[in-house]
Amino acid sequence: MEILSFNLFISALRLATPIALVALGETYSERAGVINVGVEGMALAGALTTAVVAYFTGWPWLALIAAIGVGALLGALHAVWSVYLRADHVVSGAAINLLVLGFALFLTRVIWGWRGTSPSAPTMNAWILVGVGLFLIGLSQVYIFRTPWGLRLRVVGEHPRAADTAGINVYRTRLAYTVLNGALCGLAGAFLFNNLGRFTDGMVGGRGFIGIAAMVVGNYRPLPALAAAYLFGFVDALQMRLQDYIPSQFSLMLPYFLTVIVLAGFLGKAQVPKALGKPYVKEQG
Amino acid sequence: MRWIRETGPVVGAITLALGVGAIVTALTGYSVPQVFRHLAVGAFGDWYRLAQTLTQATPIIFTSLSFLIAFRAGLFNIGAEGQLYMGAFFAAWAGFSFQLPPVLHPIVCLLFGAAAGAVWGFIPGWLRAKRGANEFVTTMMLSYVAINFTSWLVAPGGPFHGTAWANQTVRIATSAQFPRLLRGAQLSWGLIVGVLVAFLVWYLLFRTPRGYELRAVGQNPLAAEYGGINVTRNMILALTLAGALAGMGGAAETLGTHRRFIELFSPGYGWDGIAGGLIARAHPLGAILAAVMMGALRAGGQAVDRAGVAPADLAAVIQGLVILFVVAPELIRYFRRLVRRKKLGDIEL
Amino acid sequence: MPAEAVRMEGIVKRFPGVVANAGIDFSLHWGEVHGLLGENGAGKTVLMSILYGLYQPNQGRIFFRGKETKIRSPHVAIQLGIGMVHQHFMLVPRLTVLENMAVGWEPRIGPLLDRRAMRRRIESLISDYGLEVDPDARVEELSVGEQQRVEILKALYRGAEVLILDEPTAVLVEQEVEALFSTVRALKEQGKAVVFITHKLHEALEICDRITVLRRGKNVGTLPASEATEERLAEMMVGREVVFTVTPEPVSSQGQVLLSVEGLQARDDRGVPAVRGVSFEVYDHEILGIAGVQGNGQKELVEAIAGLRQPTGGRVRVGERELTGQSPSKLAAQGLVHIPEDRHLRGLILTFSVEENAVLGRHRQPRFAVGPWAQRRRAIRIYAQELVERFSVSVPSLSAPVRTLSGGNQQRLILARELSRDPQVIVAVQPTRGLDVGGMEFVWEQFLEARRNGAGILLVSMDLDEVMMLADRIAVMYQGEIVAVVRRGEATKRELGLLMLRGKGAVD
Repeated sequence: MEILSFNLFISALRLATPIALVALGETYSERAGVINVGVEGMALAGALTTAVVAYFTGWPWLALIAAIGVGALLGALHAVWSVYLRADHVVSGAAINLLVLGFALFLTRVIWGWRGTSPSAPTMNAWILVGVGLFLIGLSQVYIFRTPWGLRLRVVGEHPRAADTAGINVYRTRLAYTVLNGALCGLAGAFLFNNLGRFTDGMVGGRGFIGIAAMVVGNYRPLPALAAAYLFGFVDALQMRLQDYIPSQFSLMLPYFLTVIVLAGFLGKAQVPKALGKPYVKEQG
Repeated sequence: MRWIRETGPVVGAITLALGVGAIVTALTGYSVPQVFRHLAVGAFGDWYRLAQTLTQATPIIFTSLSFLIAFRAGLFNIGAEGQLYMGAFFAAWAGFSFQLPPVLHPIVCLLFGAAAGAVWGFIPGWLRAKRGANEFVTTMMLSYVAINFTSWLVAPGGPFHGTAWANQTVRIATSAQFPRLLRGAQLSWGLIVGVLVAFLVWYLLFRTPRGYELRAVGQNPLAAEYGGINVTRNMILALTLAGALAGMGGAAETLGTHRRFIELFSPGYGWDGIAGGLIARAHPLGAILAAVMMGALRAGGQAVDRAGVAPADLAAVIQGLVILFVVAPELIRYFRRLVRRKKLGDIEL
Repeated sequence: MPAEAVRMEGIVKRFPGVVANAGIDFSLHWGEVHGLLGENGAGKTVLMSILYGLYQPNQGRIFFRGKETKIRSPHVAIQLGIGMVHQHFMLVPRLTVLENMAVGWEPRIGPLLDRRAMRRRIESLISDYGLEVDPDARVEELSVGEQQRVEILKALYRGAEVLILDEPTAVLVEQEVEALFSTVRALKEQGKAVVFITHKLHEALEICDRITVLRRGKNVGTLPASEATEERLAEMMVGREVVFTVTPEPVSSQGQVLLSVEGLQARDDRGVPAVRGVSFEVYDHEILGIAGVQGNGQKELVEAIAGLRQPTGGRVRVGERELTGQSPSKLAAQGLVHIPEDRHLRGLILTFSVEENAVLGRHRQPRFAVGPWAQRRRAIRIYAQELVERFSVSVPSLSAPVRTLSGGNQQRLILARELSRDPQVIVAVQPTRGLDVGGMEFVWEQFLEARRNGAGILLVSMDLDEVMMLADRIAVMYQGEIVAVVRRGEATKRELGLLMLRGKGAVD
């Protein structure tokens, strides 16, 4: 079979990267108790920011930093909404997705005159970002399970009141990790841009949601989530090669189908943080 | 009096969003008064424009109802877009395959659309209730599947590729079409069906034991179970109904607006439903108003674009802002509390 | 004059609609065990929560080690050396004992958590105070008594010099209580100050050096335990009112079995067998009490009977009919109703109106609905009105959300709803939890009334006093089995405690 070449496994790693980054970000924020469905929009914002900055300055590194910054800002927005204003987490995330999509369509028109797409712009080697992603995931595995801060993170998502009495600021912790989630989504978006060389409004195309699925399958642990992300990346890579053999619409469906099937098979076993999605109300007095 | 308390924050949020939208407009170098004037005139300026607004509001009524009925049962249907496509295609199929008398034909088509959407809601509902799969991920994923699937059906080489110049089906029979309401405009009976369905959903939720059970499951599944209510069955029912409603929306588009199924016909009506349901604070009758508002933003946005004042997508930005402010009702309360705390602070400390 | 650890002066704490502390003075010395005695709602926990920084007082001052101190948060309190063991433990079940204790005060090597150092610290605390636990066990695997030890260890690890124990014996049986008392005495000998919150007179007299009695948010008096007697404390606690108890009048059962449970088995949420072959009968005109330490399968037993948990074996019969694993609505149709343990979790839908909650479980009955597609709204309203009047539930209006009702009125509404179905069998779990004296009295009288009318009642309670007062027979549950059934007056509290703690092995 020509489809199953060595190249396939390599490009699977590439395609797994944005999914793994989102899964890592979501692992952090959900461990702190915040569901973030806005990952889709945050990644899209990251991609758009990279395109804009790279187009105007020609510096892909600056574009990368800007993308992370914009992702972090959106993370902060979601945290303020869900943690401080106690909006429903899923609803707030969905709102951010719609908002970013609106902005993406509008800004591409304003800047380039094309609805939803950018011209090509200077890129950096996407493999660098693959490496960065792998490094961050390995580091996070140690951080979450072996360091004092990781312990505090886990307690905040499981028993915020216990964390509070131990002097851990629940709100600030949740804010920090949701911002981190946003930053990682921004990084994922930057990767998507550098991978393709230009921006399109459909370039995230559900990878944010697939990242959440990878986190669930990885049971809130960075390394297993990476493995799940690789599986999705593999199917994505396979799908592109299958387009020569079956109608493209069917091969395009594959990753989405796989997500549904995998979620249906795995979720029952995931150890969901106890306080996930629940607002923390400090005892007032 | 209660409705004032309920709608107050929504009106506040819309005002706030328009304000921030004005700032965005100004920052991107467009004229705020011009944009807003064209937006208003473009949406409500004359009968034809109003008809355009209502035409775009029609599918949003259905998708808003779809989102909110699931929301009332404690579930998130993020996948109305896919259900809309399924409904639109199968309504078209019933429209060009069957030969039926005029009044009956559109009803049959509508039911086909509802059934197709229902299947697309049942699957994530079943997966959630029986397998614990997150419905906000699965509905979204299945949306992409549906969009690709219906695309393939009408693509060259697909079984229902109807015309050479575009990826679409053949026209549905005249007997199946929804009559238009205004000469020269696309506005059809779909709107009236949408309003009727909104009232039906209201009745279902607030006046029937079924609706009581759906809401009980959404508010407190453990208490619902204790009260003899079958929680899993109601979860499945809620998402199936949500799918059916979005499917009907797709059918209404096919029967009233396009008269055939066209690949990628929806400019995001399914996503608008999330917004509509939230702006309506999950109230079925509020969904009508919310949908009209979003239809107006779409129609008005297009008018702004045509007049060369600003890109139509400015309306999408404003819409995004409205949702963002609506979903945080605490926002207004929060500001109020901040002010009050400052005053009390002097006395207490 | 012993040195003063804490002095609280004129503490006032108001909550919406309630004054929990109405100007309380309180002082605590080093090396003493100070009992804080009072009924439910007297303000004991609130006062100590203020000392622990959970609440800020509206008025009043706190002196710690003689210096006026503002305790803005529990973290500040802990840094001062104040520790508190709450009734609901502040432990994360999925983490280990070590991780639970370390959080917030983690020893480090470089950027990593130093587990070895932490383990050493825990082991030295364990040997100092005789509080045996395995540092590497997950908290969810521990018994309630062991979890309490972890909480005490945690407070000590964080450097507590003042230790507040909030109703520590409520979750323990006699024998564990004795172990706790010896720990408390060890703490005292080390010169630490201990506040012991309780509403049980004999406990206060046994362990405390001084006792402060609170009543309705006021300090009624502080006296040395040596000068106190049960009678005197009781009078201080309730004022001129008499302590309320009910005495079930003798009624003879007709010997008719109303509820029969045979070899019932069920698993808990983690899939571990929790009910292991339980059999008993409840007769007409009878209250069968189930006593046991929390977590011995009572919750699963009740849920398996009430149709909320699928049994993995055995049979449940109501009257003549077998109804094993049937839905709550089927059971209710056969005359079995369930007063659930947690009002907010199961009993009510807080955002629904009084009317809507009044028909929960009956909303499909022809009286209130025409098929699944129409409600009889008038009938529902009239019925809700009737319930509210008959059981004197005080509500702002029938369309108000039940969230706005007080705890006592919420419980009344549940009782009204369930008891007005004229049940043959009532399954009730902790029906008086969190109620004031008036509320308890109401609940007890309703049960006795039902018993008089011939109903059979299964009463599950962690409060042995309540079970011993009401039940005609008492079944003791231990590790998922019924280890003994005794008639009223056949066993002492101590004997029951022994059974609750050690099961059958206790008999010899």
